[in-house]
Amino acid sequence: MNVVECKGLAKHQGSVKALDDLSFTIKEDTITGLIGRNGAGKTTLLKILAGYWYESSGEVRVFDEHPFNSLTVSANTILIDDQMSFSNSLTLQELLQEASNFYMNWDMELAQRLFSYFNFDSKQIHENLSKGKKSTFNIIIGLAAKCALTIFDEPTTGMDAAVRKDFYRALLKDYLAHPRTIIISSHHLDEVEDLLEDVLLINEGKRYLHLSIDDLKEYAIGLRGKSAIVRQWLNDKEVIHSQSIGTDRSYVVVKNDFDHDRATRLGIEVSPVSPSDLSVYLTNQKQGGIDDVFSKREFR
Amino acid sequence: MLNTEGSKPIYIQISEWIETEILNGNFKEDDKVYSQYKLAEMFTINPATAAKGLNLLYEENILYNKRGLGKFVSSNAKEIITDKRKNQKLKGLIQEVVLESERLNVSDDELIEMIKTLMEERKGELK
Repeated sequence: MNVVECKGLAKHQGSVKALDDLSFTIKEDTITGLIGRNGAGKTTLLKILAGYWYESSGEVRVFDEHPFNSLTVSANTILIDDQMSFSNSLTLQELLQEASNFYMNWDMELAQRLFSYFNFDSKQIHENLSKGKKSTFNIIIGLAAKCALTIFDEPTTGMDAAVRKDFYRALLKDYLAHPRTIIISSHHLDEVEDLLEDVLLINEGKRYLHLSIDDLKEYAIGLRGKSAIVRQWLNDKEVIHSQSIGTDRSYVVVKNDFDHDRATRLGIEVSPVSPSDLSVYLTNQKQGGIDDVFSKREFR
Repeated sequence: MLNTEGSKPIYIQISEWIETEILNGNFKEDDKVYSQYKLAEMFTINPATAAKGLNLLYEENILYNKRGLGKFVSSNAKEIITDKRKNQKLKGLIQEVVLESERLNVSDDELIEMIKTLMEERKGELK
């Protein structure tokens, strides 16, 4: 069963097309990583799925309903991001109690265990927490709510490396015990990739790729060698990224659809491309990289 | 235990890890191997990825299925794994050695001599 279905989804914000003809489906009980550059439309998409925002055109279905103003979607969906606002007249402990009234599958035992593991003080006020602590509290809400569709939008903002690692492990363990549909957007693809089943890569509001993480890992391959030899090898291949190294060597990323042995025998080094690097290469602007912003200057 | 730096797909690393466990005798003939969920929990990976690793071994007849019970080690699992590793891993390593020798202008005889010396040394150490 598909939990999320989008067809030709678009969202205009003034003259900007935040989402543009976006189509995809998300299967039940999978963990999908939503990946894209800043401004690619990730947050816009997640807010529409959670029913916060109205789409401009196209079709969006969550649990086979239109999410905006849908009680079913609201009751079964939670969106965790760094803009969650909580009442300042309630303490953190009271917030957990209140949350349990909102979500029918609320797991208070898990909430309390995480609350004390991450050293929260019951009497603290959400607004006074540090950025990382706010994010940590929010993910406790996100995990304990046990919503059939759980969405995390950049959940690890401000968290230190140790807490991020704990969160990923907590998410996975809870998912194994209570499978549900999870969408997680993150700039740290290298950190979350092992948790994911599928990756949805969006660029400028459009779907760029939607495939399993294993296929993404094998999607492209890096070739390193003498520029002349590498260039010769490239004639019929789709180049995703290329850069020169030193004076006469090149590193080129191409689609992985050929026999590596032949390249190796020509003395070309063949290496895998991490999903994280690949997403950057795939979504790079055509006008060149950061170097082109600066005027050309010879360093001696 | 897994190399998450990304060189090999995780599901292949999972299948290789189980293979090594079989070669080491930690999983014996007709033993039940870990389920996709147990592997997911052990290595903090998606259970679908773990399942893919298990299926790879099933397709290669290293594991067999018992409906509803899980996957078990085949009787000739060790042989299959050893043969496969000889053909793939060793071949790959030798290819690298040959290429590097070319780059360094090491002659064929010199290379073979180096390998022989190394093997003699190993034999000496093992005595």
